[in-house]
Amino acid sequence: MTFLQPLILAALPLIGLPIIIHLINQRRFQTMQWAAMMFLVSAKALSRGYSRLRHWLIMMLRMLAVAAILLAASRPLSRGWLALAGGGRADTSIVILDRSPSMQQQDPTAEDSDSKLDTGRRQLIQSLATLATGRLVVLTDPKQKPFEVESPAVLADLAAPVASPTDVPLLLQSAYDYVRENSIGSTEIWLCSDQRHNDWNPESGEWAGMREAFAKLPQQVRFQLLSYSQTDPSNVAVRVTSARPHVHNGEIELLVTVVVSRQESSPQLTLPLRFEIGQAASTVDIQLDGKQAVLKDHPIALGRGDGPMGPGDHFRGWGRVSIPADANVADNDFFFVFDRPATRRTLIVAADGASRQVLSLVAHTPSSKDQACEVEVLVPEDLAAVAWDEVAIVIWQAPLPEGKTILLLEQFADRGGQLIFFPPEQPTEQSFAGVSWTNWTTHKEPLHVLTWRSDQDLLANTASGAALPIGELEVRRSCGLAGPYTPLASLPADATFLARATGQRGGVYFCTSTPSNRDSTLATEGIVLYALVQRAIDRGAEVIGKTRQVDADTLAAGFHSKDGQWTRLAGSSDALSTEMGLHAGVYQKGDRLVAINRPAAEDAASILADGRIDELFAGLSFSRISGRAGDDGSFVKEIWRMFLVAMLLALIGEAVLCLPKRSIPEPSLSSGMRSLEAVA
Amino acid sequence: MLSDRQPRSFLEPQVLSRLAAVPLLARKAMIGGVSGRHTSPHRGSSVEFAEYRKYVPGDDLRRLDWRAFGRSDRYYIKEFEADTNLRCCLVLDTSGSMNFGSAGLTKIQYARRLCGTLGYLAGQQGDAVGISCVANGIVRSLPPRRSPAHLRMVLDILEEAEPQGETRLPEVLHELAETIRQRALVVIVSDLFVDPAALGSSFSHLRFRHHDIAVFHLLDPQEVAFNFSRPTRFLDMEGGSAIFADPSDIADRYHTALSGYLAAIKQVVLESGIDYQRAMTDESYEQVLARFLVGRAAGKGLR
Repeated sequence: MTFLQPLILAALPLIGLPIIIHLINQRRFQTMQWAAMMFLVSAKALSRGYSRLRHWLIMMLRMLAVAAILLAASRPLSRGWLALAGGGRADTSIVILDRSPSMQQQDPTAEDSDSKLDTGRRQLIQSLATLATGRLVVLTDPKQKPFEVESPAVLADLAAPVASPTDVPLLLQSAYDYVRENSIGSTEIWLCSDQRHNDWNPESGEWAGMREAFAKLPQQVRFQLLSYSQTDPSNVAVRVTSARPHVHNGEIELLVTVVVSRQESSPQLTLPLRFEIGQAASTVDIQLDGKQAVLKDHPIALGRGDGPMGPGDHFRGWGRVSIPADANVADNDFFFVFDRPATRRTLIVAADGASRQVLSLVAHTPSSKDQACEVEVLVPEDLAAVAWDEVAIVIWQAPLPEGKTILLLEQFADRGGQLIFFPPEQPTEQSFAGVSWTNWTTHKEPLHVLTWRSDQDLLANTASGAALPIGELEVRRSCGLAGPYTPLASLPADATFLARATGQRGGVYFCTSTPSNRDSTLATEGIVLYALVQRAIDRGAEVIGKTRQVDADTLAAGFHSKDGQWTRLAGSSDALSTEMGLHAGVYQKGDRLVAINRPAAEDAASILADGRIDELFAGLSFSRISGRAGDDGSFVKEIWRMFLVAMLLALIGEAVLCLPKRSIPEPSLSSGMRSLEAVA
Repeated sequence: MLSDRQPRSFLEPQVLSRLAAVPLLARKAMIGGVSGRHTSPHRGSSVEFAEYRKYVPGDDLRRLDWRAFGRSDRYYIKEFEADTNLRCCLVLDTSGSMNFGSAGLTKIQYARRLCGTLGYLAGQQGDAVGISCVANGIVRSLPPRRSPAHLRMVLDILEEAEPQGETRLPEVLHELAETIRQRALVVIVSDLFVDPAALGSSFSHLRFRHHDIAVFHLLDPQEVAFNFSRPTRFLDMEGGSAIFADPSDIADRYHTALSGYLAAIKQVVLESGIDYQRAMTDESYEQVLARFLVGRAAGKGLR
């Protein structure tokens, strides 16, 4: 509980005033010689328990009345029943707003209610105005510096909802930096969030450091979480997983794969999917029986005339799929772009002829007939002349690169390109991404892969859920790895078969054996090698070509740079140009198209449990106020009236208890009644 | 009669003269040594006819009713009532509680007036007057005698009586019941702060001994009202432990206890058939005595 006039609380010892008055009154007693002691003794013995209880009750009610008047005068604030942490008014309040799409959810039980974000903003404005905080700082994007605002009312115009997730640990780190650099006094950090797992990322190692850093701050820092964790299982999200042009009987049509999902598995639902491509719109119904339904390769005719991107161009364009409004409007639309499939160009640098041949064959065989694959075998010296923007993957079976080649490959990896290294016959001490080859080990008996990451990355199970036959591989010879890497597949005796280097934006993989029959059965058991290489090519191909489909906030900072060449084709017009990369929409720069959408994790309503949140703030002054979308009023309210009522009730109770009981008439002793006859 | 001494503070001549008009009569037949104003259980020589009885040899022939012999040819003796004096035993409670008084007079002072006036009135009509000052025992005692000198001694004792000690009135009354010879009028003046049941037992004992019992129950107005405004430490006037209490808190229960006590006293009075007079110390003792004397005069004639 917080008080606007906490100094008045210094008078709380006055609660003992009734006791002191009682004791003084007791000291004021008179002494008297008394004859009728037998009646006094009887009176003291009668109803002693009730009398004592009544005295205690009267005393307690008097003390309660004093306490209530003092508390009322100190102007207490209610922060919800769960937030009874102590503390006075902070010098600085830092507001951290979760603007992720899930915060757009409205109260499912009320019509036209505000979203969680709007509710949180409104309640924050009212509460901070009530608290009359000294300095107010707003933090919405970890990439931007916290900025000070004059009054809480400014919050109403700030922090528009975005399509990107909120990196809560990073925002808290920014808040910490602000507190430390500005040497401000007592600070209250208001965190408005819906406790989504993907926003909070509780497994992040940053939490421990953040806790330690805040705990070491000399000033007092309190955390107030405004939690809007209520979810609506009936909310449906729509997502496009693929959109590719296709020629069918001379007609150009777009094959779109749409996934609609929700948290509950019933009831059965028929949803109209509305497709908008250019000026044309079409609708198709999709049956949602369980938690998820997929509309696979739905054909949409693109026509013969002018395409959306220009006259005669029907193979490139953008579109949007939408579903009717439900609890969360942020996941009812999905933008997509399409183009002719880019040529999936693979560069192979291989010293071993057998390996080179196998790798070329694997890379040159597309997984779909619409895809065009191209393989180029090079020596390291030729790399300087490569058009890297067209390359999806580099497969390297040679001594690790040196000199300028390293820089080229690092830039390629940073851009999103994929790199797969196979060990050379003569390993060197050279390293790439901090990882280097050590020595070959020849195994007397062929080894089999014991464990591998089947849930993600290159060795993940297939779309149908089947595992790759990795366990059937035989490894006769393997080369050791040194450096920071994440194992994806392991051999016995802690040996690694496939690893991914850490710290690179793109994928840099190291396979410790070659496709040569001398080393392994990767070539003869070709499924694993094919899946591994083609998946890497798929990833690399995503960043090449003229169109890209990306999650919000995943593009480089250059997207919303000051050159201003990117223009918005679709999406919210309220978005600031500096935040375009955070808002869902379609953007164009020259002949390049980018569709930005919310990440897939936003569609999964995984809420972090309260207990887990408490663990994240363990050791810090933390309290949680639970709210729900559409709540009216401030969660910080002045509640002095409640204490006045309590005081009145206490006084009334005290008066009732002090009322003389129904008086027992004194024995009538008038002169005419004193004779025996009168008594009789 | 008392001219050789200075006036007693508890005797008022005007009151004595006014009350002298009403005789002090016993409600029961008394056995006195001399002729007096009270009925006797024996036949005597008064002018009041009592009954006829058959002559038996040895009877005084002067009391033979010759007219009856003439009418019936039988011998009858004509008998008359005997009038005698009474023995008035004053029992004065001199326990510590009798020293309490909030209305000007303490209970002991009030009791002195009652006892002194009654004793004087009894002496004036030729009755024997004695006194017993009692507390936790018989403190002082003077047997009933008729002489004026004896009455002076009684008054001296009254004057010198000092309230002290605790009350053991029932035990003392039992003792007096055994020690008072012959029938007597026993006048008890006390605040009766004892167990009513024990008190009833002692009254029954006195009645069994054919004594005529009169009780003056003295109460102070503050003992009844119990209207204090401040917490008070009550010191027991009879030496018991003190009690600290907030009178406003226990007044109701005090009154409950007092009512219960008075109801018990009333029951004892009804069962014992005693002459009970409750007197508040703020009330004129003359009125109390007048009510007492008139009430007894109405009951004269019982034998």
